[in-house]
Amino acid sequence: MNASPATSVEDPPVAGSRRRILARTRLDFWLDALLLVAFTLAYSLGFTGIALHEWIGIGLGVALLVHLTLHWDWVIRTTRKLLSRGGRERFIWLVNLLLLACMTLCIASGILISEVALPQLGITLPASFFWRQMHDTTATLTLILVPIHAALRWRWIVGVARRFAAWRPGRSR
Amino acid sequence: MKFVRHLAAVVLAVAVIVGLGMLWAHVAGGGTGIGGQLRRPPSREAVQRLGQIRAGVIAVRPAGGLSLADSGDLIRTCVIEAALAAVVITVSAARLRHRRTRRAASHG
Repeated sequence: MNASPATSVEDPPVAGSRRRILARTRLDFWLDALLLVAFTLAYSLGFTGIALHEWIGIGLGVALLVHLTLHWDWVIRTTRKLLSRGGRERFIWLVNLLLLACMTLCIASGILISEVALPQLGITLPASFFWRQMHDTTATLTLILVPIHAALRWRWIVGVARRFAAWRPGRSR
Repeated sequence: MKFVRHLAAVVLAVAVIVGLGMLWAHVAGGGTGIGGQLRRPPSREAVQRLGQIRAGVIAVRPAGGLSLADSGDLIRTCVIEAALAAVVITVSAARLRHRRTRRAASHG
Protein backbone atom coordinates (compact mmCIF):
# COMPACT_ATOMS: atom_id res chain seq x y z
CA MET A 1 0.00 0.00 0.00
CA ASN A 2 3.00 2.24 0.19
CA ALA A 3 2.87 4.47 -2.84
CA SER A 4 6.57 4.53 -3.53
CA PRO A 5 7.92 6.48 -6.49
CA ALA A 6 8.53 3.21 -8.29
CA THR A 7 4.85 2.46 -8.27
CA SER A 8 3.07 5.68 -9.02
CA VAL A 9 5.17 8.80 -9.55
CA GLU A 10 7.22 7.23 -12.34
CA ASP A 11 4.10 6.29 -14.26
CA PRO A 12 3.79 8.66 -17.21
CA PRO A 13 0.67 10.82 -17.00
CA VAL A 14 -1.10 9.98 -20.27
CA ALA A 15 -4.75 10.88 -20.85
CA GLY A 16 -7.79 8.57 -20.94
CA SER A 17 -7.56 4.99 -22.17
CA ARG A 18 -4.00 5.57 -23.37
CA ARG A 19 -2.83 5.76 -19.79
CA ARG A 20 -0.26 3.07 -19.29
CA ILE A 21 -0.01 1.19 -16.07
CA LEU A 22 3.41 -0.07 -15.14
CA ALA A 23 3.67 -3.80 -14.50
CA ARG A 24 5.03 -2.93 -11.06
CA THR A 25 2.00 -0.76 -10.23
CA ARG A 26 -0.33 -3.54 -11.37
CA LEU A 27 1.57 -6.04 -9.20
CA ASP A 28 1.40 -3.72 -6.18
CA PHE A 29 -2.31 -3.06 -6.66
CA TRP A 30 -3.37 -6.68 -7.07
CA LEU A 31 -1.05 -8.00 -4.36
CA ASP A 32 -2.39 -5.38 -1.93
CA ALA A 33 -5.97 -6.28 -2.91
CA LEU A 34 -5.18 -9.98 -2.43
CA LEU A 35 -3.66 -9.29 1.01
CA LEU A 36 -6.76 -7.33 2.06
CA VAL A 37 -9.15 -10.04 0.87
CA ALA A 38 -7.00 -12.81 2.41
CA PHE A 39 -6.84 -11.05 5.77
CA THR A 40 -10.60 -10.37 5.74
CA LEU A 41 -11.26 -14.06 5.05
CA ALA A 42 -8.68 -15.25 7.59
CA TYR A 43 -10.20 -13.06 10.31
CA SER A 44 -13.68 -14.46 9.60
CA LEU A 45 -13.07 -17.84 11.25
CA GLY A 46 -16.76 -18.71 11.38
CA PHE A 47 -16.98 -18.32 7.59
CA THR A 48 -13.80 -20.15 6.57
CA GLY A 49 -13.52 -22.89 9.19
CA ILE A 50 -10.27 -23.65 11.02
CA ALA A 51 -8.42 -25.47 8.22
CA LEU A 52 -8.92 -22.75 5.60
CA HIS A 53 -8.24 -20.09 8.27
CA GLU A 54 -4.84 -21.63 8.98
CA TRP A 55 -3.84 -22.17 5.35
CA ILE A 56 -4.90 -18.62 4.40
CA GLY A 57 -2.87 -17.36 7.37
CA ILE A 58 0.25 -19.21 6.18
CA GLY A 59 -0.27 -17.90 2.63
CA LEU A 60 -0.76 -14.43 4.07
CA GLY A 61 2.66 -14.75 5.73
CA VAL A 62 4.33 -15.50 2.40
CA ALA A 63 2.44 -12.69 0.63
CA LEU A 64 3.39 -10.31 3.45
CA LEU A 65 7.08 -11.10 2.91
CA VAL A 66 6.71 -10.31 -0.81
CA HIS A 67 4.73 -7.11 -0.05
CA LEU A 68 7.39 -5.91 2.38
CA THR A 69 10.21 -6.81 -0.02
CA LEU A 70 8.56 -4.83 -2.84
CA HIS A 71 8.28 -1.78 -0.55
CA TRP A 72 11.60 -2.13 1.27
CA ASP A 73 12.94 0.94 -0.60
CA TRP A 74 10.09 3.00 0.91
CA VAL A 75 10.86 1.63 4.39
CA ILE A 76 14.55 2.58 4.14
CA ARG A 77 13.87 5.99 2.56
CA THR A 78 11.18 6.98 5.07
CA THR A 79 13.14 5.69 8.06
CA ARG A 80 16.20 7.72 7.02
CA LYS A 81 14.16 10.90 6.56
CA LEU A 82 11.93 10.31 9.56
CA LEU A 83 13.03 13.42 11.43
CA SER A 84 12.84 15.76 8.45
CA ARG A 85 9.49 14.45 7.15
CA GLY A 86 6.10 15.92 8.00
CA GLY A 87 3.64 14.56 10.54
CA ARG A 88 1.60 12.58 8.01
CA GLU A 89 4.56 10.58 6.71
CA ARG A 90 5.69 9.91 10.25
CA PHE A 91 2.17 8.74 11.16
CA ILE A 92 2.07 6.40 8.14
CA TRP A 93 5.50 5.03 9.09
CA LEU A 94 4.32 4.39 12.66
CA VAL A 95 1.10 2.68 11.51
CA ASN A 96 3.11 0.50 9.11
CA LEU A 97 5.62 -0.45 11.82
CA LEU A 98 2.82 -1.39 14.24
CA LEU A 99 1.07 -3.35 11.50
CA LEU A 100 4.28 -5.22 10.68
CA ALA A 101 4.80 -6.15 14.33
CA CYS A 102 1.15 -7.16 14.88
CA MET A 103 0.78 -9.14 11.66
CA THR A 104 4.11 -10.92 12.14
CA LEU A 105 3.25 -11.91 15.71
CA CYS A 106 -0.30 -12.86 14.66
CA ILE A 107 0.95 -15.20 11.92
CA ALA A 108 3.81 -16.60 14.06
CA SER A 109 1.49 -17.28 17.01
CA GLY A 110 -1.11 -18.72 14.63
CA ILE A 111 1.49 -21.20 13.37
CA LEU A 112 2.49 -22.08 16.96
CA ILE A 113 -1.13 -22.84 17.96
CA SER A 114 -2.04 -24.52 14.66
CA GLU A 115 -4.56 -27.34 15.05
CA VAL A 116 -4.91 -28.50 11.46
CA ALA A 117 -2.23 -27.18 9.09
CA LEU A 118 0.87 -28.20 11.07
CA PRO A 119 -0.51 -31.63 12.08
CA GLN A 120 -1.28 -32.19 8.37
CA LEU A 121 2.43 -31.57 7.74
CA GLY A 122 3.32 -34.00 10.51
CA ILE A 123 4.27 -31.33 13.05
CA THR A 124 2.54 -31.20 16.43
CA LEU A 125 3.19 -28.54 19.05
CA PRO A 126 1.89 -28.50 22.62
CA ALA A 127 -0.89 -26.03 23.42
CA SER A 128 0.22 -22.67 24.77
CA PHE A 129 -2.09 -20.21 26.50
CA PHE A 130 0.38 -17.34 25.92
CA TRP A 131 0.46 -17.79 22.12
CA ARG A 132 -3.31 -18.27 21.92
CA GLN A 133 -3.85 -15.00 23.76
CA MET A 134 -1.14 -13.34 21.66
CA HIS A 135 -2.91 -14.55 18.48
CA ASP A 136 -6.29 -13.13 19.60
CA THR A 137 -4.83 -9.76 20.66
CA THR A 138 -2.62 -9.23 17.59
CA ALA A 139 -5.45 -10.33 15.26
CA THR A 140 -7.74 -7.67 16.75
CA LEU A 141 -5.02 -5.02 16.50
CA THR A 142 -4.31 -6.06 12.90
CA LEU A 143 -8.03 -5.75 12.09
CA ILE A 144 -7.86 -2.14 13.28
CA LEU A 145 -4.56 -1.33 11.57
CA VAL A 146 -5.21 -2.93 8.14
CA PRO A 147 -8.04 -0.55 7.07
CA ILE A 148 -6.11 2.43 8.46
CA HIS A 149 -3.01 1.32 6.52
CA ALA A 150 -5.04 0.97 3.31
CA ALA A 151 -7.08 4.15 3.80
CA LEU A 152 -3.98 6.29 4.38
CA ARG A 153 -3.11 5.53 0.71
CA TRP A 154 -6.64 6.03 -0.62
CA ARG A 155 -5.53 8.61 -3.19
CA TRP A 156 -3.05 6.13 -4.70
CA ILE A 157 -5.73 3.39 -4.70
CA VAL A 158 -8.32 5.67 -6.34
CA GLY A 159 -5.73 6.89 -8.87
CA VAL A 160 -4.70 3.38 -9.93
CA ALA A 161 -8.33 2.15 -9.94
CA ARG A 162 -9.30 5.04 -12.24
CA ARG A 163 -6.46 4.17 -14.58
CA PHE A 164 -7.55 0.53 -14.56
CA ALA A 165 -11.04 1.67 -15.53
CA ALA A 166 -9.60 3.55 -18.50
CA TRP A 167 -6.95 0.97 -19.31
CA ARG A 168 -6.85 -1.14 -22.48
CA PRO A 169 -4.68 -4.27 -22.19
CA GLY A 170 -3.05 -3.78 -25.60
CA ARG A 171 -1.59 -0.48 -24.48
CA SER A 172 0.08 -1.72 -21.35
CA ARG A 173 3.82 -2.02 -20.95
CA MET B 1 19.66 -9.49 -7.01
CA LYS B 2 18.12 -6.38 -5.43
CA PHE B 3 14.95 -8.36 -4.68
CA VAL B 4 16.94 -11.10 -2.93
CA ARG B 5 18.85 -8.50 -0.89
CA HIS B 6 15.61 -6.80 0.17
CA LEU B 7 13.98 -10.17 0.91
CA ALA B 8 16.92 -11.07 3.18
CA ALA B 9 16.46 -7.75 5.03
CA VAL B 10 12.72 -8.38 5.40
CA VAL B 11 13.27 -11.93 6.68
CA LEU B 12 15.77 -10.54 9.18
CA ALA B 13 13.28 -7.88 10.37
CA VAL B 14 10.54 -10.51 10.72
CA ALA B 15 12.95 -12.82 12.58
CA VAL B 16 13.77 -10.00 15.02
CA ILE B 17 10.04 -9.44 15.73
CA VAL B 18 9.40 -13.17 16.20
CA GLY B 19 12.51 -13.40 18.40
CA LEU B 20 11.23 -10.55 20.56
CA GLY B 21 7.87 -12.33 20.79
CA MET B 22 9.64 -15.53 21.92
CA LEU B 23 11.57 -13.52 24.49
CA TRP B 24 8.31 -11.99 25.71
CA ALA B 25 6.77 -15.46 26.00
CA HIS B 26 9.80 -16.65 27.96
CA VAL B 27 9.73 -13.65 30.33
CA ALA B 28 5.95 -13.90 30.76
CA GLY B 29 6.32 -17.55 31.71
CA GLY B 30 4.48 -18.81 28.67
CA GLY B 31 7.42 -20.99 27.69
CA THR B 32 9.70 -20.53 24.70
CA GLY B 33 6.76 -20.61 22.39
CA ILE B 34 7.18 -24.15 21.24
CA GLY B 35 7.02 -25.86 24.58
CA GLY B 36 4.79 -23.41 26.41
CA GLN B 37 2.11 -25.05 28.51
CA LEU B 38 -1.08 -23.79 30.10
CA ARG B 39 0.01 -21.90 33.21
CA ARG B 40 -3.31 -20.50 34.34
CA PRO B 41 -6.92 -21.56 34.11
CA PRO B 42 -8.88 -20.47 31.02
CA SER B 43 -10.96 -17.30 31.27
CA ARG B 44 -14.69 -17.34 32.09
CA GLU B 45 -15.47 -16.41 28.45
CA ALA B 46 -13.40 -19.34 27.18
CA VAL B 47 -15.18 -21.78 29.49
CA GLN B 48 -18.55 -20.31 28.48
CA ARG B 49 -17.62 -20.60 24.79
CA LEU B 50 -16.55 -24.22 25.31
CA GLY B 51 -19.89 -24.92 26.93
CA GLN B 52 -21.70 -23.36 23.97
CA ILE B 53 -19.65 -25.47 21.56
CA ARG B 54 -20.50 -28.63 23.52
CA ALA B 55 -24.18 -27.65 23.59
CA GLY B 56 -24.09 -27.10 19.84
CA VAL B 57 -24.92 -23.39 20.09
CA ILE B 58 -21.66 -22.51 18.30
CA ALA B 59 -20.89 -24.66 15.29
CA VAL B 60 -17.26 -25.68 14.86
CA ARG B 61 -16.16 -27.09 11.56
CA PRO B 62 -12.62 -28.38 12.10
CA ALA B 63 -12.33 -29.68 8.55
CA GLY B 64 -12.99 -26.18 7.25
CA GLY B 65 -14.38 -25.12 3.91
CA LEU B 66 -16.36 -21.99 3.20
CA SER B 67 -19.74 -21.86 4.85
CA LEU B 68 -21.86 -19.42 2.88
CA ALA B 69 -24.68 -19.87 5.39
CA ASP B 70 -22.38 -18.65 8.17
CA SER B 71 -21.38 -15.36 6.57
CA GLY B 72 -22.13 -13.26 9.68
CA ASP B 73 -18.46 -13.31 10.69
CA LEU B 74 -17.34 -12.20 7.26
CA ILE B 75 -19.92 -9.40 7.10
CA ARG B 76 -18.88 -8.17 10.57
CA THR B 77 -15.19 -8.09 9.53
CA CYS B 78 -16.04 -6.19 6.33
CA VAL B 79 -18.19 -3.68 8.24
CA ILE B 80 -15.41 -2.99 10.80
CA GLU B 81 -12.82 -2.54 8.04
CA ALA B 82 -15.10 -0.33 5.95
CA ALA B 83 -16.05 1.85 8.95
CA LEU B 84 -12.43 2.40 10.00
CA ALA B 85 -11.34 3.10 6.41
CA ALA B 86 -14.23 5.55 5.98
CA VAL B 87 -13.18 7.49 9.10
CA VAL B 88 -9.55 7.74 7.93
CA ILE B 89 -10.55 8.75 4.38
CA THR B 90 -13.00 11.38 5.67
CA VAL B 91 -10.38 12.93 7.96
CA SER B 92 -7.73 12.75 5.23
CA ALA B 93 -10.04 14.33 2.61
CA ALA B 94 -11.09 17.08 5.02
CA ARG B 95 -7.44 17.88 5.80
CA LEU B 96 -6.62 17.92 2.07
CA ARG B 97 -9.53 20.28 1.32
CA HIS B 98 -8.52 22.53 4.19
CA ARG B 99 -4.93 22.68 2.94
CA ARG B 100 -6.05 23.47 -0.62
CA THR B 101 -8.38 26.22 0.60
CA ARG B 102 -5.60 27.77 2.67
CA ARG B 103 -3.16 27.57 -0.25
CA ALA B 104 -5.71 29.12 -2.62
CA ALA B 105 -6.41 31.90 -0.11
CA SER B 106 -2.70 32.67 0.32
CA HIS B 107 -2.19 32.79 -3.48
CA GLY B 108 -5.31 34.88 -4.03
